[in-house]
Amino acid sequence: MSTPEDIVRLKQLKESELLDEAWTHWKANREQLDETVALLEDPDPTMRSLAVEEIDSLSTNLAELVQTTIPALLVPPSKTSHLGALMELKSGVGGSEASLFLAELLRMYQRLANNSRWHASVVGKNDLENGGIKDAVVEFKGEGAYDSLRWESGVHRVQRVPATETSGRTHTSTVAIVVLPLIEETDSQQDELFNMEDVKLEVMRARGAGGQHVNKTESAVRLTHIPSGVTVSMQDERSQHQNRRRAFQVLRSRLMDLKLTREMEERRSTRRNLVKGADRSEKIRTYNFAQDRVTDHRIGLTMKNLTSVMEGDGIELFIDALKQDNAESAMEAMLEESD
Amino acid sequence: MSSLLASLAKSLRSQSQAAREFKWMQQHISQHKHSPDIIHEYVRRRTAGEPLQYILGTQPFGPLNLLARPPVLIPRPETEHWVCKLAESFTPTAQKPISLLDLGTGSGCIPLLLCNLWPQGSVKAHAVDISPHALKLATDNAQLCGMQSSQQDHQTQNTFSTSMANFLAETFPDTATRSNAPFDIITSNPPYIPWNEYLELPRSVQDFEDPRALFGGPSGFNFYHAIARLISKEDILKPSGIVVLEVGHDQAKKVESLMLETGRFRRTEIWSDPWEKQRTVVAHM
Ligand SMILES: C[S@@+](CC[C@H](N)C(=O)[O-])C[C@H]1O[C@@H](n2cnc3c(N)ncnc32)[C@H](O)[C@@H]1O
Repeated sequence: MSTPEDIVRLKQLKESELLDEAWTHWKANREQLDETVALLEDPDPTMRSLAVEEIDSLSTNLAELVQTTIPALLVPPSKTSHLGALMELKSGVGGSEASLFLAELLRMYQRLANNSRWHASVVGKNDLENGGIKDAVVEFKGEGAYDSLRWESGVHRVQRVPATETSGRTHTSTVAIVVLPLIEETDSQQDELFNMEDVKLEVMRARGAGGQHVNKTESAVRLTHIPSGVTVSMQDERSQHQNRRRAFQVLRSRLMDLKLTREMEERRSTRRNLVKGADRSEKIRTYNFAQDRVTDHRIGLTMKNLTSVMEGDGIELFIDALKQDNAESAMEAMLEESD
Repeated sequence: MSSLLASLAKSLRSQSQAAREFKWMQQHISQHKHSPDIIHEYVRRRTAGEPLQYILGTQPFGPLNLLARPPVLIPRPETEHWVCKLAESFTPTAQKPISLLDLGTGSGCIPLLLCNLWPQGSVKAHAVDISPHALKLATDNAQLCGMQSSQQDHQTQNTFSTSMANFLAETFPDTATRSNAPFDIITSNPPYIPWNEYLELPRSVQDFEDPRALFGGPSGFNFYHAIARLISKEDILKPSGIVVLEVGHDQAKKVESLMLETGRFRRTEIWSDPWEKQRTVVAHM
């Protein structure tokens, strides 16, 4: 995606005013560049040095057009931009250290939500005594939440010396994150996701004679979507009613997730994407405290100053870079299709 | 903390159930801004067999969160299930409101959930109980649910009234009930546990819940006989009325025949609960 030929082809592929404009802009810049290059031969040294400066700025413009402006216009608009996100965080290897890190990640995403004007609410959480969190489920509502957070799915790894570690040895712990699209009950899209007749609703434990004989709290439910085999169990709440609502919400999210993955495959877009998105057991990012860096392994991006990620806005840079990377992959796929 | 959790797990014989109950206790404490130390008290009471619902003071029932207070029977998930099913099986309207009688209302859970699920102005519910504790709790719950008492404007709102009465007595219906009759629906989850099963009940039921809410006579059918007698009377049910009764795990067939023997019904149904026990007998006139 860097030669003018590509742009010409894409221009034919996708007519749009903005693109046309960008293309005209590019051409003008390009012509000007050719003219300026001629000035490098000028006998007047002032002229020559002016030309060098001019060439520099024209090249920057051209690069910007080719690398950012035009690609952004070519990527089809997101169909998921209105969706919220359902994020599930689970502490993995590393025991209590992993759960402490989970609590920190949770705060990081809550801060991100605040800055992005999403509404974040923790809908389920299991706290541990050490101040850590074993697992948590968070809802993010608001424009663009899913599109931003979807790239956070995968294994997040932390490397640091735990506060409790006296020998000063660095530990590695992990937190696994899964982000699903959040479909609101009021979203008309939910109707297309499943038929009520295809969902089997079960209660979970045996109750013996039941009824007046037993007063044990029993509110766990399990849903099975028969056509896809997706099952969801929910038992966090004392209220059966709430467990059921939440189970249906997760079911909608899982089915939407399946649908999006399927659509991606069908469009055969983004082979890279698929590798990236589908395998949620993949290690995606390392937070290395000793080296004061955060590295995203998918795009090879490293940021120094870990604190700015954990306690500042640093995470937004990663999210933007991942979105950008996704847009580029989508473009590449389009180019391949047009071959 | 972990020793509290361990003793809870030992007493409940389940690690995961203990973890959940412990979390609910903590949530309750932080919601009500109680002192965190009270968790010790809660766990002590729970391991002594007290139902969690009495300790926390509530029991969710459908979308409602009802008050639970000893010794009034804690609403059960089986009851929640059939009441929701009943609410879905038809919908009364404000144009043609219906009247409902609930026998042995306890916490008031059955009529209050129906009043909540059905449209406003479509139902006028009356509930009786023999226990003053139950009537007080049902009234408090009605208030919590924002219910109107029947004196008020029942053109636009669902209404709920109660009276103290013994529905085993020859003199039943009492005046208040009679003034609301005839009814479109009679519901009841009467005491149905027979003597031999009563002795086998878990401690949290036997030691904490009102025996008068549980014991259904030597064979467990006393109250169903009384209900059969009641509906045989003229003027208690409307011509197209229905009777909906919760029954014990093995009582459905017998209760169904008791209803059919009254000669008042054209048709009966038995509904199973989510645990696959035949739980509810529905009789249609
Ligand atoms: C099994 S509990 C049901 C409570 C409530 N309806 C429910 O489903 O949770 C039975 C109720 O019937 C009441 N009761 C027992 N004997 C009664 C009688 N003879 N007359 C009226 N109510 C009675 C008890 O006080 C108790 O509240």
